[in-house]
Amino acid sequence: MTGSPARSEPPDDEALRVDDVLMTERAAEGDEDAFAVLVRRHAPALLRLAARLLGNRTEAEDAVQDAFVSAWRRLPEFRGGSSFATWMYRIVTNRCLNVLRARRPQAPLNDLPDLPAPAHVTAPDRITEGRAALHDLREALATLSPEQRTCWTLRTLDGRSYAFIAKTVGISEQAVRARVFRARRRLTHTLGAWQ
Amino acid sequence: MNNRPPETRTDPDDETLPCGRLLSRVWADWEDAVHDDHTAQCAHCRPAVADLERLESRVRALDAEPAQTSFDAASVVDRVMDTVRLELRPGRPLPLGDAAEDLRIMENAAARVLRRAAEEVPGVRAGSCRLTPGATTVEVALSVRAPLTTPDVRAVAQEVRRRVHEAADRRLGLRLGAIDVRVTDLVAEAAPHREEESSG
Repeated sequence: MTGSPARSEPPDDEALRVDDVLMTERAAEGDEDAFAVLVRRHAPALLRLAARLLGNRTEAEDAVQDAFVSAWRRLPEFRGGSSFATWMYRIVTNRCLNVLRARRPQAPLNDLPDLPAPAHVTAPDRITEGRAALHDLREALATLSPEQRTCWTLRTLDGRSYAFIAKTVGISEQAVRARVFRARRRLTHTLGAWQ
Repeated sequence: MNNRPPETRTDPDDETLPCGRLLSRVWADWEDAVHDDHTAQCAHCRPAVADLERLESRVRALDAEPAQTSFDAASVVDRVMDTVRLELRPGRPLPLGDAAEDLRIMENAAARVLRRAAEEVPGVRAGSCRLTPGATTVEVALSVRAPLTTPDVRAVAQEVRRRVHEAADRRLGLRLGAIDVRVTDLVAEAAPHREEESSG
């Protein structure tokens, strides 16, 4: 992979990893102060991950909040087969995947309210090229399936390996490759205007 | 790299370029930094790679914009901990002092005091601390990490046991039976967490 995307994880620090194991053991036994340490330490990276997956800050904050609360409830059963960071990454990713799935219209005949016009139509002078490009990207991402979008985001924006993504999402590595490929195909096609 | 796309087209969304190569294959080669003479010179493969490179570099540039990276993490932390504090797991009640006194302390509160006592031994960090009430006493199973440089691990474990016993006796009035201290790891350096912990 060329380039080095900024991964949504805390610094790779041996001391912090050891401390995470201790704090996870304590939190699993009901020590909420230890859990607070973990939440403070991992929230920023997980928020970045969720925002990348969902493209919406409020939804990202809600997803991360729900994921941590769910983790607190499941901690007594956590056996430490993976690190707390990896475990949380998985919970947040799958939470976001569900949010993306719920976004898709359940029935095509639902009455939908009129959406406001995109900002770059209503305020042409103040729009930077970057913002317009971001808008285009969001629109293009919205055309991907939740699964394609998730796999592509973890691969391209979060720089994860296909094997890691396969484990996180719970599908085969081959399926991850196919989804990332289809997402790229669609995005290069849709964003052809950027050329 | 394993599980690379096949040579022949299996995905209906894939495309066979006019040169005969599969688009999925060309992109996988680019991603895995596999170079061959064909791709470097092919009039079909090169634009296909350029398309993908352009996409990847543009989305990363957008991703790195400050508006994309600033979050109110503190408010998320607060909201999480507000919910957690409504769903505390204090553990079992443990007997304090003599049976006749009918006093109890919750397992989690006692464990917190005992972990702290263990950590008074220089360089020691405490993890799991399980307390099991017996007929007249409470048994402790405590796991600790000691510094890699510890010259005498057994002495450290004994010192931990002594401090735990003392704290249980003097600070809690908890009558301990067996104190099982497990040194689960020897670690290179102490983790910088104390200030973090006390502020919450």
